[in-house]
Amino acid sequence: MMTVSRNKLTKKDITNMGWLSMVLQFGFNYERMQAMGFCYTMAPYFKKIYGDNTEEVAAAMTNNIDFFNTEMHMATFLNGLILSLEEAGEDRELIRNIKNGLFGPLAGLGDAIFWFTLLPISAAIAVSLNRQNSILGPIVFMVIHFFGAISRIPLGHLGYNLGTNAIDLIRENAASITKAAGVLGVMVVGALIPSYIDFSFPETFVIFDVVPVQGIFDTVLPNILPLGFVLFLYYLVSKKNVNAVKLIFGIIVVSIILSYFGIM
Amino acid sequence: MEITLVQGLLLSLLAFICSLDQQAEVFLIFRPIVVCFFSGIILGDVQLGLSAGAVAELAYLGLLTIGGTVPPNPLIAGIMTVVISYTSGVSAEAALGLSLPFALLGQWIGMILSTVYSGLMPIADRICERGDVAALGRLVILSAIGKSLVTAVIIFLSAYLIQEPITALVEKFPEWLIHGFRVAGNLLPGVGLALLLKVMLKIDNVAYLFIGFLIATYIEMGNVLPIAILAVCITFLSYINSRDQKAYDGGVDDDGI
Repeated sequence: MMTVSRNKLTKKDITNMGWLSMVLQFGFNYERMQAMGFCYTMAPYFKKIYGDNTEEVAAAMTNNIDFFNTEMHMATFLNGLILSLEEAGEDRELIRNIKNGLFGPLAGLGDAIFWFTLLPISAAIAVSLNRQNSILGPIVFMVIHFFGAISRIPLGHLGYNLGTNAIDLIRENAASITKAAGVLGVMVVGALIPSYIDFSFPETFVIFDVVPVQGIFDTVLPNILPLGFVLFLYYLVSKKNVNAVKLIFGIIVVSIILSYFGIM
Repeated sequence: MEITLVQGLLLSLLAFICSLDQQAEVFLIFRPIVVCFFSGIILGDVQLGLSAGAVAELAYLGLLTIGGTVPPNPLIAGIMTVVISYTSGVSAEAALGLSLPFALLGQWIGMILSTVYSGLMPIADRICERGDVAALGRLVILSAIGKSLVTAVIIFLSAYLIQEPITALVEKFPEWLIHGFRVAGNLLPGVGLALLLKVMLKIDNVAYLFIGFLIATYIEMGNVLPIAILAVCITFLSYINSRDQKAYDGGVDDDGI
């Protein structure tokens, strides 16, 4: 591998990256969810690492524009981790596999902390203050969530430091880690298929007047339709090189037509 | 009471700012408890803002964006609960019910925009291939402003101009069209996952795709953490196996056989 000159990121860079990571969900869409914001959070720091070497900046950006969806604070943690690996010149396939393997599990962790614990508790406190006609209700709520919001900055540092400290360990075992991260990523994607994709026919869609179509598929294997759908799309994008835009608009048009006829 | 043009504009400015936060989900100022308070200040009735905030926040507390599905829009519900109570004099509880068509309209438009924004990804891909950091920044910011402008316009129309026609429109909206976009929204993550598989799937690891899929299909779990731990265990075992195998082969060599 050709060595490229790299600039070091400072502590302040990681703090600024933490602030920038607040744009994570800007440009959110159903195809790749948070990909755009996630990539943009790191892009200015790729540029700092590689300077005028636009080719390397482009390669790092392209490596991070895949499907991505996690809890927002955890995304900042991953941003920090990826920046440290990129700065150390780790193999991009390794980086990509680590990212794809971790975003799902981290989402569960972040949701549990911020959305199932902090939000309900802060809302309960604020609502009780509102009921006493105190303007402290909304103010307390905003203060709590201001700190909740900036807690992503230390999480970004945590990810960066973790990557930096573990870099030798990662390098020595690069081959096994790349393989392990690949297994992790593919297995997590397999597990995401049933939860992210809902491909089912309504009970009202029957053949021979009485047999519900969905029941037939469920008897064979539950979620066989989402699985088959993803494998079919995989076939189209990787073997037939079908353009993703055509795929998206095709799916929208077909969905609306099927909905009109009551088939889905 | 009537809403003045200035109040209508201020409400839509509030909607614009809070909608940016609603997309980002960072400071949570889009939650009803906060937007109702500020709507109350704009309309000169802080009391109403507080009571409506309490009612609407409790109602929307159970509704979170999880796994890409969008609940009725809490930001629009919050503002419209205050507006309806203020203009018609009904209680905050009754106004919350009447705000539902607006929250639903916001939800549908949000779904349609997130579907249509999928079309931005090829542009983002080309920008990344050029390594153009500034252009990616512009795309990210402009797409956020686009969604916020739509929310601001909905609030301006709903609060100031044509409150009743909108309620009537939502009631008449063709169900199949909304349902069609919902179906598309449920299917589109498949494109993202397929693109991920395009880069990750190899003949060595294809079996793990099915293992992950089967476990998630047959065992109910809150998130994919158990699957990730299992994957780590599997790769650790295979690492140990290959190490032992190497040591064993090496041992044979040492004996000179």
